[in-house]
Amino acid sequence: MKIAVSSEGADLEAKVAHKFGTAKYLVIIDLDSEESEAVPNPGASAQRGAGMQSVVLAVSKDVEVVLTGHCSPVVKNHLAANGIEVIPDLSGTVSELVERYRKGDFGKHEEAELGHRPKWARIDKAVFKNAARTSAKQFGMLLPILAGVVMLMGLFNAFVPRSFMASIFSGNRALDTLWGACFGSITAGNPINSYIIGHELLSSGVSLFAVTAFILAWVTVGLIQLPAEIAALGKRFALARNAVSFVLALGVATLTVLVFNLVVGGIY
Amino acid sequence: MRKNNPQALTWQRRIMRMLPFPCAVLAIYGILYIINPVKISIALKSTGSIFSHMIVPISLVFALMLALNLFLKPAQIVKFLGEGSGIKGVILSTAAGIISTGPVYAWYPLLKDLREKGVRDSFTAIFLGNRAIKLPLLPIMISYFGWVYVVILTIFTILASICAGYAVGALVKEGESDADCRAQQESI
Repeated sequence: MKIAVSSEGADLEAKVAHKFGTAKYLVIIDLDSEESEAVPNPGASAQRGAGMQSVVLAVSKDVEVVLTGHCSPVVKNHLAANGIEVIPDLSGTVSELVERYRKGDFGKHEEAELGHRPKWARIDKAVFKNAARTSAKQFGMLLPILAGVVMLMGLFNAFVPRSFMASIFSGNRALDTLWGACFGSITAGNPINSYIIGHELLSSGVSLFAVTAFILAWVTVGLIQLPAEIAALGKRFALARNAVSFVLALGVATLTVLVFNLVVGGIY
Repeated sequence: MRKNNPQALTWQRRIMRMLPFPCAVLAIYGILYIINPVKISIALKSTGSIFSHMIVPISLVFALMLALNLFLKPAQIVKFLGEGSGIKGVILSTAAGIISTGPVYAWYPLLKDLREKGVRDSFTAIFLGNRAIKLPLLPIMISYFGWVYVVILTIFTILASICAGYAVGALVKEGESDADCRAQQESI
C-alpha cells in the first residue's frame, strides 16, 4: 500500500507542505516494501490547475492515502473520486507522519473499512455519492437543450413540408453526404440531439448517407469549439484535426451505409 | 445555514443559462398556436411521440453515465493516454477516447498538459476522434437506428479515428506543434 506525503523537501526529514496542490514534492512511501521516492510535484510551479496536476500525479503513482497540510475541498473530492483517502491539517516531518499513520493515530482508515479489495472494486458511500452527483449534473445539463430540440423537431414535423427538405437534399448521394457533414460541422452540443435531428431528417426522406455524415461531423468536427481547441492544442493541430475529421466523416458515412445496405439488403 | 458550494452554483448557473432556449421554443409554440392551432396540435403530438420514444433509452443513459462516473475518472483516463507507444499507445488512446465523458472543452487543459509532457499528437487526435463513440448514448442511438447500423458505424468510426490520428500526426509533423502551441499562447 502506498501513501503520499506532500513535502517541502525530497527526503524523509523534510517538513510536510502547507498545501497539497503546491507542495514541492510528493514523497511516496510503500508501506509493504518500505521503499520511498520523492517525486517533484508539477503543480508546484503551475499558475493554474496545480491541484489537478497533483491529483494526476497521485493517481499515476497508485497512491491510496495522502497525508498533507491544507487540501482544498475540490482537490479532496477529486482524490476521493479516484479512491484516494485524504488526511489533512497535519504538520511535522514526513517520517513522523508515516510513523503516526502506521500506529493508527489518524483514526480508522478507509483501508481498514474496505478491507483489501482491489482499488477498482471499492465503492464506498462517498464515491457513490460523488458519482451520482456528477451523473445528475451531466444529466441535468443535457435536459434543457434536449427538451428544446425535441419541441423544435415537433414544430419541424408539423410545419416544414417534405418538399422543402427535398429541395436541399436532392437525392444525389455525394452532394447530400457533403451537406450532411457541413450541417454537422457547424452544430455542436450533446450528440443525443444529433440522433433526434438525424432520425427526424431520415423520416422526412433525407438519405441515410447525409444523416450519417451529419451525426459524425456533429461529434468530430467542431467549428464552434475551434477557438478553444486552437488555444489549447495549437492552430496547426486544431485545423489539421478538424479538416481530416471532416473528410473522414464523408468517407465513414459512405462506407457505413454501403456495408449496412449489404447486411440488411439494400434499403437506403 | 448551509453554505453555497461554488462548484454546485456553477453547474446550476449553466443549466439556468440553457433555459432560454427551451423557453424560446415554448414561446414560438404559443405564438404559432394563435396563428395555426391545428398545426400546433400536430406539433405537440409529434413532440410527445419523440419524448415517449426516448424514455427507456434515456433511463439507460443515466445508468451508464453513473457506471462510468463510478469506475472511471479523468485522472485515470489521462494516465491511460500517457502510457505506451506504438500499437499499445493506439489501443490505449482509442480506449481512453471511447470511455471519456463530458464536454470536449473540459478535456483540453489535460490534453495540453499531456502533450507538453511528450504524448504524441497522433495519440491526442486518436483520443479526440474516438470521443465520437458515446458509450452511455448507445441505447438512444440503437433505439433510433437499430443495432446493426450502430455496430457498423462504431467499427468504421474507430478505424477512421486511428487513420485520422496518424494523418494529423503527419500533417502537424509531430513535435512542431508544441512551438505552434506556445506561440499561440503567447499571443493570447
